[in-house]
Amino acid sequence: MKIIVTIKQVPETGNVKMDPVTGTMKRDGVESIVNPLDLYAVEEAIRLKNEFGGEIIAITMGPPKADRALREVISMGCDSGILLSNKSFAGADTWSTSYVLAQAIKKLGEYDLILCGERATDGDTGQVGPGIATWLDITFTTYVSGVKEVKENSLVIERMVETGYEILEIENPSLLTVIKEINYPRLPSLRGKQKARKLDIPVWGPEEIDVENKNLGLKGSPTRVVRISKPKVSRNGELFVCKNDQDIENAVGKMFEFLESKEII
Amino acid sequence: MSEYKKITLEIVEKLKNIVGDRNVIFDDIEKLEPYSHDEIAEKSYGSMPEVVIKPETSEQIAQIMKFANKENIPVTPRGAGSGLSGGAVPIFGGICLSVEKMNKILEIDKANMVAVVEPGVITNDLNDLLTEEDLFFAGYPMSVESCYVGGNVAENAGGGRAVKYGVTGRYIIGLEVITPEGDIINLGGKIVKNVVGYDLLNLMVGSEGTLGIFTKIIIKLLPLPKEKVALLVPFKDVETAINMVPTIITNGKIIPTAIEFMDQLSFQTCYKYLNEHFPHSDAGAMLLLEVDGNSMEQLEQEYETIGDLCLENGALEVYVADNHTTQERVWRVRRNIAEAFMVYSPVQSLEDIVVPVAEIPNVLPEIDKIAKKHDVLIPCYGHAGDGNLHATVVKKPEMSMNDWYRILDNILMEMYVVTTSFGGTISGEHGIGHKRKKQMKELMEPATFELMKRIKKSFDPNNIMNPGKILD
Repeated sequence: MKIIVTIKQVPETGNVKMDPVTGTMKRDGVESIVNPLDLYAVEEAIRLKNEFGGEIIAITMGPPKADRALREVISMGCDSGILLSNKSFAGADTWSTSYVLAQAIKKLGEYDLILCGERATDGDTGQVGPGIATWLDITFTTYVSGVKEVKENSLVIERMVETGYEILEIENPSLLTVIKEINYPRLPSLRGKQKARKLDIPVWGPEEIDVENKNLGLKGSPTRVVRISKPKVSRNGELFVCKNDQDIENAVGKMFEFLESKEII
Repeated sequence: MSEYKKITLEIVEKLKNIVGDRNVIFDDIEKLEPYSHDEIAEKSYGSMPEVVIKPETSEQIAQIMKFANKENIPVTPRGAGSGLSGGAVPIFGGICLSVEKMNKILEIDKANMVAVVEPGVITNDLNDLLTEEDLFFAGYPMSVESCYVGGNVAENAGGGRAVKYGVTGRYIIGLEVITPEGDIINLGGKIVKNVVGYDLLNLMVGSEGTLGIFTKIIIKLLPLPKEKVALLVPFKDVETAINMVPTIITNGKIIPTAIEFMDQLSFQTCYKYLNEHFPHSDAGAMLLLEVDGNSMEQLEQEYETIGDLCLENGALEVYVADNHTTQERVWRVRRNIAEAFMVYSPVQSLEDIVVPVAEIPNVLPEIDKIAKKHDVLIPCYGHAGDGNLHATVVKKPEMSMNDWYRILDNILMEMYVVTTSFGGTISGEHGIGHKRKKQMKELMEPATFELMKRIKKSFDPNNIMNPGKILD
């Protein structure tokens, strides 16, 4: 089985501080990590490889330091990595990103399966996976919670939907975006770390893959982030301090009025 | 035991005059209740205070102590209440003196690498602030989210990083203390060396609130290491895992910041509790190691040396966590073991025995025998790197409470005797409080015990300062 896993490097947001004035994240000194949801895709790829053999190629688009994210997933068990990094790619939206990733995947030749995380924890769109499949003109399935069976030319998968689970059989090659329920990602091993440190990771730019310049980067992106705003929390509480029975009676009366006005009672 | 004076309305008025109306809780069971226990699960160790006061200055505390000493009223100082030996529990009622309002960081003196804080500062908050200056307070108890610096000093708290950094006391270089008789004294200062007279500073550290109340604490700071890496290492059995511990330091010539040990029962219970899963979940035991430093290159060398040593000596695998996400994932397992067992059976006795590191493999089978003999669980986990083990006695759900009460004392005593016979002591970081004072007296040399009694007497002639703790 030849499996391609796409990953993204994202800022570690666990102990991040927010700028109280601008409402944006303070990025100084913030660590970059592999998008936590991508690790489930990596784990599923490793499990499939361990059971059915084959190879796993991890691929990412990002700045040169995204190299570290590739080494992290190689140390978990991916065989090799490809970094798509070039100034012309910078500022790409999900449309342009999925285009570049798809063109790079085409260069890798035949494959059986592409695995992606559900979405990235920074952008939160969940569009890149389906985007890649669309560019490649292959089937895609989102919210996959289990790979039930691997057949000669197809996969039987379980997919989480609002009302329960769907079981689907999908022809190869296809793309799956997986959710947390699918597995428990392993940690990188010492031997994996040692291997990953030594491995040569090729960096591909527009010269190495077949892309049209008009589709690249900020210029090639049909969508723009115009403004980022914090949602207003509209919860308001009213506090009644009761010092005697009369106060309590009044407070209870007001509570009834409130509940009635909201048609709760 | 002397008869203490009961708190009357008149006394409450006097206290209000000293600390102000809003800083006194009296005659309100609901508000007094949180001050009646610490984190010991067993409710019978709790005891209600008659009155809670929350002074805001050293002078107020000095006045209170003078008053209480004259009137023969017991005073129990209290930090965040996250202790595990009953140190902050007012077992004779009387006054519970909470330092929660003395929570200011008074000074961060970068030139001297020193912080001056009040006792009610949350240790974690201090370290958050220090991180911005690339400094840290290396005392690191496990209850980082809640505990106060004052309590850390009173208990001489240890924790996960003692292998390399030692315990709280190493970093306490000065104290302002209110004595039981109400004097304000200053010990040490912003100085590293001090040999003038008896070392009262270090006598105060770990005195569990029985010799005085700290009102200012001077802390030696260290530069914050920029990088750290954690290793999670499963082994086929306890012995192989524990035998690794001295090997890492002696053969690897590396002092990790932490060498934590978890037996199978501990990590499996915790996996279930956290819905976590790592490969080798059927391993017999695991070590969690951490190294820190300023360059990733150096750390890579160090963790490879340790990892290779482990693999050569029977480790099933070595997992590497070199970023915040993976580190949090592995440390979460270790930190949540106590909580996990609370879910399995809330009836338990959390212990913290210490033995010389090389004796751990010899002690564990003995503890296992005790567990089997009395039909209880005794999961072992803890700070293997410094010989400090949380051998926690857990009641099986099917055992009756009567049986549990009947046998617990015997189990603890048997465990303590085993510990002492291997050159260890009965508590490495939780302290004695009133939970272990009976066993301490029994196992301590009589002459040493007598000296401790005399020290207590000379500080607190009327025995009003946290009475009934450590010794009677």
